[in-house]
Amino acid sequence: MKAYKFLLPDRVAPFTGFRWPVGEWAEADRQALCTAGIHACDHGDLPFWLLDELWLIELGESVVRGRHKLVAPNGRLVRRVEAWDAAAGEDFSAACIERVRGLAARRPDAAGHLADLAGWAPHVRPAAVASLAARAFEAFESRKGYDDERAEQSAWLVGRLGLDAAA
Amino acid sequence: MAAELTCKELVELVTEYLDGALSLDELERFEEHLVYCAPCVTHVEQMRDTIRLVGAVREEDLDPVVADELLAAFRGWREDTA
Amino acid sequence: MGDEAAFVELVGRYGALMLQVARLYVPTRSVAEEVVQEAWLGVVKGIDRFEGRSSFKTWLLRILTNIAKTRGAREGRSVPFSALAQAELGAAEASVDPDSFIPRGERWASYWSSAPPRFDDLPEVRLMSAETVAVARDVIEALPEAQRTVITMRDMAGFAPEDVCEALDLSEGNQRVLLHRARSKVRRALEQHFEEADA
Repeated sequence: MKAYKFLLPDRVAPFTGFRWPVGEWAEADRQALCTAGIHACDHGDLPFWLLDELWLIELGESVVRGRHKLVAPNGRLVRRVEAWDAAAGEDFSAACIERVRGLAARRPDAAGHLADLAGWAPHVRPAAVASLAARAFEAFESRKGYDDERAEQSAWLVGRLGLDAAA
Repeated sequence: MAAELTCKELVELVTEYLDGALSLDELERFEEHLVYCAPCVTHVEQMRDTIRLVGAVREEDLDPVVADELLAAFRGWREDTA
Repeated sequence: MGDEAAFVELVGRYGALMLQVARLYVPTRSVAEEVVQEAWLGVVKGIDRFEGRSSFKTWLLRILTNIAKTRGAREGRSVPFSALAQAELGAAEASVDPDSFIPRGERWASYWSSAPPRFDDLPEVRLMSAETVAVARDVIEALPEAQRTVITMRDMAGFAPEDVCEALDLSEGNQRVLLHRARSKVRRALEQHFEEADA
């Protein structure tokens, strides 16, 4: 099964520090699968795991779905999605801010959220902007607002990175 | 329930996280938070450094009189069983 | 284990901790010393039968606590450890100063109001210096007894959570709360120490 995986620079996994090889299968600890399995994303999960590098990953059998991730006992990095780079990250953040601008247009109380987001965006990672934007929507349009914004973020990534074609 | 963990909630879960004692759902929310929140990543690192430092603290040495008594008892046992 | 040098090394490594644990069960230090002596003899006599089913540390701790609990019952220790722990667990405690977070009702409530400083930006020498270790030790010595015992056993002596729970008759959850509070106090003291040093 094909999926996506975000990693730190040099293919380093964020929580284990494991440096992924390219093209070789890597195994997780089968006994602790849910906590220590290979984590990956499908389209809807992408906004929750934004890091420096995006890779196409092939997952082994028995893939389990978590809340915002896929978990598998083994996986193999296939190729890097080169379109996800610093510039794409900046454009992603700008798109989040534009949607919050739309929120502030219909909910004037959100002006403060918008101003904060616009001020912080140059100094924080795309994942932070994604979370802040989604929480702004949650503050004014509750959980549905949050979920809808996350879905917009996912659609933006799929479109910009051409992921429909890749998968 | 809020969609995301707040930083204030996260800091109360750090010990459970490091012990691997979070539920699957809590663990996922915790890890998601670390992806978007650099200050919380720093806080977790501070806790790891703290644990390392505590590990370097040595208990004051056992009273030398007591240690000597232990050694004497040990030798006595050795002789008895020789 | 017929080797005197090995015995001396073990006593050096675990002796003070065993005394601290024994002290939890019996009324006086001298009785605790007797308990420790008896435990070491038990170790020496039993080592040939130690089959390695658990770790040595686990086995050592079990011998000690068995003897200490028996002796404590005989000596009528006034406050059992579990009562001490319950007293400490009674009140809720925020592990990080609430002023570190944006207040309730404000935009971005419960976020950090400013980013905490990294400890590891310091050169390794300074982080693990004798001075910093002393700060940690001073905080630990001043901790309430149940927190001090748990952090000593977990982080100083490296006992596993299950061993600590068994030795102290604590649930896993309570053990972890005590550990969390103890570690949090040390962390805060270290943060303040580095801030003052930098100022």
